[in-house]
Amino acid sequence: MLNLNPPDAYWKKDVVAFFSRRFALIIKMVYPIALIVPVAASSIPPEYIAAVIGIVAIMAGTFGAGETLTTDLNDGILMRVSLTPIPPQRLVFEVLSVNVVLDFFQLLPPLILVFILNPAPPVWVAAALFGVFMTLVAANCIGIFIANFTSSPADVLLYATAILFPLIYISGFFRNQNPEGIMEVLRSLVPFAYMNDALQAVFGMTVQTSPAAVFVFPTIICTVMAVGVCLTAPRLLSPRL
Amino acid sequence: MEGALERAAALEVEKVSLLYKGSGRGIQDISFRVGAGEIFGLMGPNGSGKSTLLRVLSTAMAPDSGSFKVGGHDGLREKRAVRARMGLMVDRPTHYGDLSGWANAYFFARSYGVEKKKAGGILTELFEYFDLSEYKDDRVKTYSYGMGKKLALVEAIAHGPGFLVLDEPSLGLDYTSQLAYQRKIRDLAASGVSILLASNQVDEVEALCDRVAFLHRGRVLSEGTPQELVSSISGVKRIVATLRNPVEYGAVERVSGVDRVVPEGSDLVVHCQDRAGIVEDVVAGFVASGGDITELSVRQPNLEDVYVKLTGEALNNAKP
Repeated sequence: MLNLNPPDAYWKKDVVAFFSRRFALIIKMVYPIALIVPVAASSIPPEYIAAVIGIVAIMAGTFGAGETLTTDLNDGILMRVSLTPIPPQRLVFEVLSVNVVLDFFQLLPPLILVFILNPAPPVWVAAALFGVFMTLVAANCIGIFIANFTSSPADVLLYATAILFPLIYISGFFRNQNPEGIMEVLRSLVPFAYMNDALQAVFGMTVQTSPAAVFVFPTIICTVMAVGVCLTAPRLLSPRL
Repeated sequence: MEGALERAAALEVEKVSLLYKGSGRGIQDISFRVGAGEIFGLMGPNGSGKSTLLRVLSTAMAPDSGSFKVGGHDGLREKRAVRARMGLMVDRPTHYGDLSGWANAYFFARSYGVEKKKAGGILTELFEYFDLSEYKDDRVKTYSYGMGKKLALVEAIAHGPGFLVLDEPSLGLDYTSQLAYQRKIRDLAASGVSILLASNQVDEVEALCDRVAFLHRGRVLSEGTPQELVSSISGVKRIVATLRNPVEYGAVERVSGVDRVVPEGSDLVVHCQDRAGIVEDVVAGFVASGGDITELSVRQPNLEDVYVKLTGEALNNAKP
């Protein structure tokens, strides 16, 4: 049996803190359902349903790690933790992984409801779940990257908008759905695009991406992103003066 | 007390400098050593470089030049080894407010490598020692400032560090807790733990520290035992006046022989030369300022007087 409380690792601390704030927990669990399920049950075009789910996942991911990190940086507690013998890269990896898992835990109930409302081939359901998970990894990496430049949760929102807007555009949520040339290359480098394709397939649309591609390419891209943000750890955890 | 310099060095600081790019302030050419089991005090007012020095020694920031060793480990190249041997209490301790005091302390103990089996016993003992047992399951956000300080002390010493860095540890502690803390510090030093104590609480430093260094504008101004430093100044008096009402004390500052007037709580402390008639002149200064003296005492000089004598500035640079 996994013993989480009292916590003996940073990720356990985050899990305990996540479940200890009951009101916040209810809000966190309810808001994805409130946003996603009515849209999924509506008669709007499937590409927009996929886009709404994708945007909720991206926002949840970016603010997950970004908000946690900047709040802890502001309090000074993360600085204190960084002066323990735990390697800073490991701390950042724990921040990233625990936030991805907790964000996925938040999104899983509405996603299950979506799959019940829109029965789809199991391979596409699995691909969509994996695509959402990888989107959360990428979005949390972006949140951690932003936390390198600010210790204000409000600034995370500001900077995230500037970074996410072009990425969402490139991913083809609303525009750039049939890209060519450089836009096609750029789209293939953004993990959000694979999630979007998998979700569109779940909603019965024909997509050019194969389920295998949804599993392989985001894994490679997100691994590079995760390694990249972990390497920023010494800077991220240094005093902000 | 055995000669501090004869002890094995737990901390060796060699010509450490760090200047902030924007302000040009920081620390310059700081060198000193702390022996095993020694309590070394670091005193200096705001802006003297104390916090910057502690940031460097706690491995939070790398200096521009110079080096330091903790227990023989290079503080710049062997950060993890240094951090593992160091206990750290920052001046404004922060915790995870949504977790209990026990969960916070357990998290830090395990982060420092305390074994799971031992952590519970060690923390139980420390929570009892600092009277926190009753509150151990309460969320830290419900703790008072003093309780937070005591929890930070527990977190700093639970892993049995060989070297302890304490920044203003007793500020905010009640009298009983201060006694408990001072007893613990003495016990730790007696068991061989070296302690760097940054504090401007003169009584605390005089009571605990084997040696003291004064920091002034980023440099070590003077270093020695409290007795050596106090006896180095002669012809100095310290007049402490308690006034019924706060007054502008410019007239007192203008009295011949007065070096500095410093407010300390409801008291005004006059650092002055020991000349005939100066007490009478100082009292006249207060009366001229409209002050109603309710209590007056003339005391022996202490470390604060030494600092004022050396720099012309007060350690606690508060204004009335």
